[in-house]
Amino acid sequence: MNHLVKQFIMTIKTSVKNSIIDLNIFLKNNLLKNLILRYIFSLFIPFILTGCYESFTPDIETEPVLCLNCLITAGEPIKVDVTHTWLYTDMAGAENHSVKDAVIRVIVNDEEKDSEYLPKDGDRIRIEADSPTYGHAEAEVTVPHAVPIQNVRWTPVITSTWRDDRDGYWAVNAQYYFNINIEMEINDPDVKENYYRFSALSFNSTPSEPDIDDTGIITENYDEDDAFLSSGYWKSDFYMGSMEYDAEPLFSEHIGVFESVMIGDAYGFTFFTDRQFSGSKYPLHLNYTDASYFITMKEWDPELMDCGYLLTLHSISKSYYDWANYNWQKEDGPLGDMGDLGLAEPMWAYSNVSTGAGVVAAQSYTTYTLNLREFFESIIKD
Amino acid sequence: MRHIAILILLLILPFASFAQNVTIKAVNQPAAVVFRSILEQTGKNFVYSSDLLKNMTITVNANKQPLKKVLSNIFKNTDIEYTIKGNNVILKKKKEKRKNITVAPATPPKIKTAITTIDTVKMLDEIIVLSRLEAPAVETSEMGARKITVEELSNVPMVFGESDVIKALQMQPGVSDGTEGMAGMHVHGGNSDENLFSLDNVPLYQVNHFLGLFSAFNTDIIRYIDFFKTSVPAKYDGRLSSFMDVRLRNGYTKGHHGSAKLGLTSGAFNISGPMGKNTTYLAGLRRSWYDVLSIPILAIANSQHEEEKIRFRYAFMDFNAKVTHRFSSKMTGFISGYYGNDLLKTGTEDSKQYSTNWYGFDKFDLTWGNLVVQAGLNYRINPKLSGEFTAAYTRYFSNMKYKSIYNEDSNDITTTTQIRNKTDNNINDWIFRGDFDWTLSDNSQVRFGANYIRHSFLPERTKKEYRFNDETISSRDSTTSYGGNELNAYIEDDWQISGRFRANAGLHGSLFYLQGKTHGGISPRLSLSFRLNNNFTVKGAYTHTIQYVHQLAMTYLSLPTDQWIPITGKFKPQTADKVALGGYWQSDNEAFAVSVEGYLKRIHNLVDYRDEYYLKPPLDFWEARLTSGKGSARGVDVMIEKKTGKLTGHIGYSLAWVDRQFKDKNGGLPYPARFDNRHTINVVVNWNVNDKVTLNAAWTGHSGNRYTLLPQMWEGAEFGQLYNSVDDVPLKAKVNNYQLPFYHRLDLACNVKNKHGFWTFSLYNAYNHMNTVAVVRGEKEVVKYKPGEIIHTYQPRFQKLKLIPIIPSISYTWQF
Repeated sequence: MNHLVKQFIMTIKTSVKNSIIDLNIFLKNNLLKNLILRYIFSLFIPFILTGCYESFTPDIETEPVLCLNCLITAGEPIKVDVTHTWLYTDMAGAENHSVKDAVIRVIVNDEEKDSEYLPKDGDRIRIEADSPTYGHAEAEVTVPHAVPIQNVRWTPVITSTWRDDRDGYWAVNAQYYFNINIEMEINDPDVKENYYRFSALSFNSTPSEPDIDDTGIITENYDEDDAFLSSGYWKSDFYMGSMEYDAEPLFSEHIGVFESVMIGDAYGFTFFTDRQFSGSKYPLHLNYTDASYFITMKEWDPELMDCGYLLTLHSISKSYYDWANYNWQKEDGPLGDMGDLGLAEPMWAYSNVSTGAGVVAAQSYTTYTLNLREFFESIIKD
Repeated sequence: MRHIAILILLLILPFASFAQNVTIKAVNQPAAVVFRSILEQTGKNFVYSSDLLKNMTITVNANKQPLKKVLSNIFKNTDIEYTIKGNNVILKKKKEKRKNITVAPATPPKIKTAITTIDTVKMLDEIIVLSRLEAPAVETSEMGARKITVEELSNVPMVFGESDVIKALQMQPGVSDGTEGMAGMHVHGGNSDENLFSLDNVPLYQVNHFLGLFSAFNTDIIRYIDFFKTSVPAKYDGRLSSFMDVRLRNGYTKGHHGSAKLGLTSGAFNISGPMGKNTTYLAGLRRSWYDVLSIPILAIANSQHEEEKIRFRYAFMDFNAKVTHRFSSKMTGFISGYYGNDLLKTGTEDSKQYSTNWYGFDKFDLTWGNLVVQAGLNYRINPKLSGEFTAAYTRYFSNMKYKSIYNEDSNDITTTTQIRNKTDNNINDWIFRGDFDWTLSDNSQVRFGANYIRHSFLPERTKKEYRFNDETISSRDSTTSYGGNELNAYIEDDWQISGRFRANAGLHGSLFYLQGKTHGGISPRLSLSFRLNNNFTVKGAYTHTIQYVHQLAMTYLSLPTDQWIPITGKFKPQTADKVALGGYWQSDNEAFAVSVEGYLKRIHNLVDYRDEYYLKPPLDFWEARLTSGKGSARGVDVMIEKKTGKLTGHIGYSLAWVDRQFKDKNGGLPYPARFDNRHTINVVVNWNVNDKVTLNAAWTGHSGNRYTLLPQMWEGAEFGQLYNSVDDVPLKAKVNNYQLPFYHRLDLACNVKNKHGFWTFSLYNAYNHMNTVAVVRGEKEVVKYKPGEIIHTYQPRFQKLKLIPIIPSISYTWQF
């Protein structure tokens, strides 16, 4: 009898433990990516644990349509991806959905252009595609005017220093860790709604490894040969640090109360609008923490201190902003998960193409080079 | 097996309410005084005609005796007979069996005069608020109106066994339940926010607990609910679909009585009694134990992951208190309060012990609920005119706080990052109202009144602060608030025009002032009944309603993020026009009743989220996320009831078509509403096996809810590299293009009395038919075996999500 009781207790313990593990996997991996939402759903533990799924094929009439994806950048040739839609349950369609029989037309300011055309700020561009199999699709976008970056101010704060060059062997052998606050002014040109994206790259005097900006873009000046040559004679390295997205309220202006409660922040999202500074100036707050600068040199060479940030302000079309916003809402916001779970309206993808599939967007941009050479010189000489 | 095991740990048990025994001692007391005492103890109203009890005195001595026995003793040697119907004790003169009434068509049938509250109030010589729906449907002019008694509430077995106002109303024809187990009550295709719940005349905004699984009403202290879904008396306005007038009972005058209920996940305690000669009190507390139950589960979970500890606590509670004072036979007053709230506290803690360079905690606290404080006075000004005066304060609130403090140790430096977010959403209403009943003649009852409401809406107040070490990097404080004034006045006449004709005609006028703009409207009401014979009545009605506030909810759950918003900016007040026609039959002995009601409803200026609303700016610009449109609902409600005997119950059937059309939703095209349930059948059966055992069964079935399925995908645009990875994404499709399978479920309950209380055993979803509540975009794992390897592939699949299985529950209620 005792044995049976013990066995029963063990069964209950194992059940609870396994159920928690199951729930953890269910919540963390399968459906719910954010923590707060997982807590809310914890209230449904009994039902989630006893719930079940039944696969089925819905009987809904639907036909595949053309999909156009295109990001038009001022001064660069236009490239259009033409594909077609496929059924969600069709794995073959997911792997191959290219369209080879489509004819594409680019119409700029009501005049058809060839593939060599380089778009300019203010161009009104319509992309049209026709396929004998999938029909017609079109979308129109205007290339926004680039907005210059003005009045860049920056304040570095050293958090940690290490030096080992007192014995005279090295001219400089030091490591510096610092935080840096950057303010760059945007002068919004008019009162109509404008859309922006901020991005930043770091640049180094001594390429040693690919520099990756906060959005994951590899710097253009990375050269494998240079990196190889410098690998044995590593001289300096600048790491731009981690951006604190909460430091700039505009980066979270797309987050409402509901999303704020469920999510908390907008990590990685640097798209914003001029809704809060329409037609006027606004200082964008950029806060980087844990930036670092390592330098090792036998002879004094100020060129090794040519490091810093390449700040870029993209003026983007509404379609570009909406597409980025949709992706945030779907992937990082709560509504995507809740829609997939049947607890909210499901989210279909944003599109400005006539068929409802694809995004035709446009951008132009300006850059500003923030060179930290003087700052590094001053702290090294201290 | 493990799923069942954990389910048993977490189940919430039912509570139900039983009729009380009566303790009364009276020597030659006026009948009205004795009846009042019985009413206070049992909640039973006494209904009788004017000339029945003239100068009657009663002598009775009963100690905890069943009501039937007490009544039998009282009327033993009189020419009065009584019948108990629902929450009413109907008194009549004993008479010979009727023979000729229904078989003598040559002469006009002898129509019984309506036995209504008109007579009751007059004769009781006491001022007591009674339901206006005491009389059977064949005798009134109202359509789709019903008094829900405490007995009826307890006769519907419910999820977790908890008797529930909203779940009981969902068994009425024309009322849909939304998504299984979650928030929602949809009357004739309307939205959840189109139903007005008032508690002793004061509106409640938050009527759900636990994301909608339970309603906020403690059924143990409710006296009755008047429910209107088709024709609506002029007194009520401000919502489009239905009105629930919930009334609490008063405290007992003799002795202190109450009950304590205990279940696995919630409990309740109620007590009431006298406070001096003319004063009584009533208090009720209900609270969930869910947080207590979660402690061992969390302890196990945290023991598995000591490096990251989880903090979780959920609870709901509601508290009612009422003190009633009888100033004289003409005047009683009361003060009462209600406080109900849900709280959810969560968080994580990353211990320094396990993470030497990144440690700290985050806390996330949500509190939401409703507070009502009120004072009321019932005063009989003269034998024909009485008034009810109310001053009240009602507050809906929702507070959400997030706090995160994390430290990072790096190169002997510790940096601290703090994030604090706080969001509030609330409504504060000050209400002053006067409602009057004027007996113009024996055939005419006029009701009139007015109220003023000072609204204060705070749809959103958000504070965000980001601190790095001791420096505040950014902070933001935005507030959106509105002050509004609402004035209402109404008058209606419930007029017995002749023996066959009866009419209820009224007007409700309202003004709503907000942001320098005044909205207003007149809501005419008319319902007519023509009694063909003693058993059959036909009725017709027209109702116009206006709604100035609405609730925005992004999900189908009841969450604290749901915001109550007044009509502002470009939007106009929502209005609805409903016409209805029906026939009502009841048997001679009033044991059986059948009703058939057809209706057509047009809704104007509806507000809903537009397509891709989430792309519109949220802060201070919420209007941009909305679109206005119209809707319609038409259908037929059928109700067949057996009211007396050991076996009682009803069968309800609804045939309905509900659609919506918005300028910026579904491309401007009309579409079926989410709860366009073509067929709905509800069957409720109650069997009083003997004095100790009752059995209840409820079966519900309806056409599946509508759902938006997105069958096609396209390749997401990467645009070089967006801020995150881009997946394949769904193509837009028509709204509500798919219908879920037919929903059906049987619930059973058994109540067993013993000396000190009763046990309740119940089975939710007794035959374990797991209904589809949603469609999930999932994947099915396919495993292929090849020599030397096992290949796992994931096939995208639509999957029906079926959540709630059979749920057994048990509870015990101790009565004293």
